[in-house]
Amino acid sequence: MIALKPRVRRAIVRNGLVYSSAAVVLFVMAFPLYGLLLTSLQPEAVIRSRDLQFVPDKLHLEHFLEVLKPGHIVPIREGLWNSLVVSTMTAVVCLIFAMPAAYAFSRLRLPGRLVLLGAMISVYFLPTVLFLIPMFVVFVNWSLDDSFFSLVLAYSGFILPFEIWILKAFIDKLPRDVEDSARVDGCTDLQVMMRVVLPLVRPGIIAGFIFAFILSWIEFLTPLIFTSNLKITTVALGMFRSTIDIKVGQQAAAAVLTLLPVAILMLVFQSLITRVLLTGADK
Amino acid sequence: MPAALDLRPGHLPSGPGTAFLELTSKRRRREIRRALLMIGPALLLVAAVYLYPAFYTLTLSFAEFDLVRLKLGNFVGFGNYLELAGDPAFLGATLRTVYFGFLIAFSATVAGFLIALLLDQKFYGRTIVRVVVVLPWAVPPVVAGVLWGQMFHADVGFVNALLSRAGIIDQYQIWLGDGWTALHVIAIAETWKAIPFMVLFLLAGLQSLPHHVFEAAKVDGASAGQRFRHMLLPLMMPIVIPLALIQFVWAMKAFDTIFVLTRGGPAGGTTTLNYFVYREAFQTFDLGRAAAAAYVLLLVTLFVVLLATLLRRYLVRHQ
Repeated sequence: MIALKPRVRRAIVRNGLVYSSAAVVLFVMAFPLYGLLLTSLQPEAVIRSRDLQFVPDKLHLEHFLEVLKPGHIVPIREGLWNSLVVSTMTAVVCLIFAMPAAYAFSRLRLPGRLVLLGAMISVYFLPTVLFLIPMFVVFVNWSLDDSFFSLVLAYSGFILPFEIWILKAFIDKLPRDVEDSARVDGCTDLQVMMRVVLPLVRPGIIAGFIFAFILSWIEFLTPLIFTSNLKITTVALGMFRSTIDIKVGQQAAAAVLTLLPVAILMLVFQSLITRVLLTGADK
Repeated sequence: MPAALDLRPGHLPSGPGTAFLELTSKRRRREIRRALLMIGPALLLVAAVYLYPAFYTLTLSFAEFDLVRLKLGNFVGFGNYLELAGDPAFLGATLRTVYFGFLIAFSATVAGFLIALLLDQKFYGRTIVRVVVVLPWAVPPVVAGVLWGQMFHADVGFVNALLSRAGIIDQYQIWLGDGWTALHVIAIAETWKAIPFMVLFLLAGLQSLPHHVFEAAKVDGASAGQRFRHMLLPLMMPIVIPLALIQFVWAMKAFDTIFVLTRGGPAGGTTTLNYFVYREAFQTFDLGRAAAAAYVLLLVTLFVVLLATLLRRYLVRHQ
């Protein structure tokens, strides 16, 4: 045996440790997702058999085609469309309400504004079930349950504190000089906001839109309570509206379809999203 | 322009000798009014979905709900709370919720810390590992439920297949068949989803540490273990505690995974307070009891928040 120098031996031990733990981390974090994808792409017979096959020799799209058929017991088709509509509406409503508020929180000196903002953000973290009972009662009283309106209103309100926080973080970083000189030139606050701030804060608006969209897309409890009509089911809910046990492969395909839009948005805007969240880290 | 008097918003003079500027207080009032106008609509919407419901739920927790006329019925004082206090299902759910919260906060923090330490090292493929670690973040909670449900499926699940092949279990297990085990399966799903967030923030924390101090300690002969225990951990604590707290608070909201995996069963073994409230309110329609349980959940959450805040303050002071 060759005697190794201590320094070399330490390097080998260190590398062994680092690479083996990296392998474990990769497996634990990625395998469940891979497994879901694999299940969605294999025929039911293969899934049911106990022979493990981690690399499929052929990809089968039948589960996807099946769940996307109109009138399937898993209303994914309707769900995707409804979620797209509701999430887009929510994101737009959130931006409209949050933009002026974020600007005021960032620029105008309102006594107690930090306390107010802090309070709004704290309630965002609380369990939504605390707020859903009265909303349910009101919506049923006004016959607004089972409507897009009830969902958009609830989502927008729930997401708004977070949305204001995001936009404020972006506005805080803008230099004030431009706004000041526009004001000296006789612009009103509204004009300053629309013509000067809005174009400069575009990344913030994109980030705000994406967050509101994703948070509405994944919401489960609110539509579970507020909707019973299959026509307005959202995609997250779609899988669980049917009481009949569906095939494992179809369930996986439906889950992949629910996940896909969010995953694409997150991948495309990864750096923007990370930036938004880490601005909270230095506070 | 003379620099003596600058009246743009945010530039108003203040301090001694400026009281003569009556003009400014008028401008100041106008600024406040504008701010209120801009914040007002958002505030109204937030009040409509948070504040009003919170008060209504509080009132409801001291009352019965009239299901026929869909409004508040008789007031019963602390009746709902007393009734809950005598209900073993509720007490079980409360204890379970606290355990579940600490379990997730602990496991997500430990796993997140270890992965962050790994990603703080230089090695080939680090970028790939980082991207993969963040992936579960993009998974909606309901999909995480489906995914782990399939992983732990008694017949077709990969967990059974892998464990039996590795010789760890003799026969396929029914993981979700027993409440205590199922609760931990749910905790695994929640932890898996929480890890990306923890890693991202802990890694940012690690990278903000003063590296030259660690180098100096190394030169002075402090071992890796000593540096970890006496330098890294104390420095990271002010970051770790709030992050663990956030995980606890989020665990109080866990619903989708529970609904998908077990619907609170078997035999209520995975019913946390959040799920308990849902069941009481929207399945048995006992809205008064549900409201009282919701407020117990809020109190539990606030109590833990208070504890964590005190702990953080204590640790920061005694460093």
